[in-house]
Amino acid sequence: MRQALIKKAKLLEKIRAFFDHQNVLEVQTSYLLTHPTTDVYIDSISMQVNKDIAIQSKYLHTSPELEMKKLLANGSGDIYQICQVFRDNEQGSENFNEFTMLEYYRLGFDIHQLMDDVSHLFSVLGFTQEITKFSYAQAFSTFANIDILNSDFNALKKIAKSHDLCTDFEWIEDLQILMFTDLVEPKLAQYPLCFIYDYPSEQSALARIEGRISHRFELYLSGIEVANGYDELQYVSEYQQVFAQENQRRFELGKTAFAQNLDFFQQLQNPLPQCAGVAIGVDRLFSQIDQI
Amino acid sequence: MAYYSTSQFKNGLKLMLDGNPCSIISNEIRKPGKGQASNKVKFKDLITGKTLEKTFKSGESLEGADVMELDMQYLYNDGNEWNFMDPNTFDQFTINDSNMDDVRGYLVEQDMCVVTLWNNNPISVAPPNHVLLEVVDTDPGLKGDTAGTGGKPATMNTGVVVQVPLFISIGEKVKVDTRTNEYAGRT
Repeated sequence: MRQALIKKAKLLEKIRAFFDHQNVLEVQTSYLLTHPTTDVYIDSISMQVNKDIAIQSKYLHTSPELEMKKLLANGSGDIYQICQVFRDNEQGSENFNEFTMLEYYRLGFDIHQLMDDVSHLFSVLGFTQEITKFSYAQAFSTFANIDILNSDFNALKKIAKSHDLCTDFEWIEDLQILMFTDLVEPKLAQYPLCFIYDYPSEQSALARIEGRISHRFELYLSGIEVANGYDELQYVSEYQQVFAQENQRRFELGKTAFAQNLDFFQQLQNPLPQCAGVAIGVDRLFSQIDQI
Repeated sequence: MAYYSTSQFKNGLKLMLDGNPCSIISNEIRKPGKGQASNKVKFKDLITGKTLEKTFKSGESLEGADVMELDMQYLYNDGNEWNFMDPNTFDQFTINDSNMDDVRGYLVEQDMCVVTLWNNNPISVAPPNHVLLEVVDTDPGLKGDTAGTGGKPATMNTGVVVQVPLFISIGEKVKVDTRTNEYAGRT
């Protein structure tokens, strides 16, 4: 028992030393928020507080992203945070209602510089194996012989049917994601560390779009997704647009849509500095370290 | 018939898939960091016996299959049909000989077995794990070889051929494991 605790503490120490060495500042942001996430497929855990005074709904953060971006927009410089995050309605053997997240932002980095930095961090933590990189389109063409960026919704449905996959989706990105999960991800298990980058623009989330692609990456350790990085959107109008679309989609799926996060928009009066950020699942990372 | 959502999927649940009743063998839930959860489900088709795999988005529903497994007594076969009886209701059911391929070598009259009914029609039979069969043909045994070191094929009264120890002779009754088609002892 104590051995396992010591091992985990040492790893956290190494992570902190890595950032300290590069002058990235550790921060703590609030776990309990007045606004839930609008992400279409992530649900905040909600609670009622101040029942004896003036009852109010609050939400546990699903990621420290927006709170950290408030700091970035107000001149924090490079920052990182290690915290517990909470998600409702999680299911699957690798998913839990609570897990530990490492989130960090580097000013002036693009996703390739950030991937290099993440590789460096992972090598410090003991992942010294060869690193593989595929663009999203390369991965699809290599492992499934599909031209993902040039296949429209109907074409993809036809291909999915031939693989006995469900095709009953409202939006093309949901089908892209299912096909990636079923046709590509299993093949990534052969690579100890594999980056997938340049996602289709439909899957941009909060990443910068350039033509057909969005500047995002994910890192897989032997087929298990452990990190998700973006070249971050900078302007409040871009965030307003993404959140409005997410809310619209939640509404269409019969999920709760939420009031606008005016506080966040207020704090982004000054745009974010150009930066790239990444979220890393620390529990998954630690469980993979046990296997190397 | 009831519908079952992916969140109710569990091993053994019987569902309709492409017109055939199927039983869930395994159900894996995947949730990408960004994107919708999905279920990868392995089924056994209860009509063909084949295993198939399908992917569903979480929240999708499938129609339940009216499938029941009942303990029944095997009565007799007339060459075309095999007859079974539910000992509680005395209802009798028949299965066509062509659907008995995997099990006909293990059914002994009066033995209890598990009959699967779909919409009240029998679709498959599972014999007991062990059955007593009589050896009707095998090479002469070696006297004194009781250690059972070697083996030889023996044809049983039901037609199935089982590898038995050398000391077993025609007319003896032996226990056979129906899951592995292996000799499991003398009576």
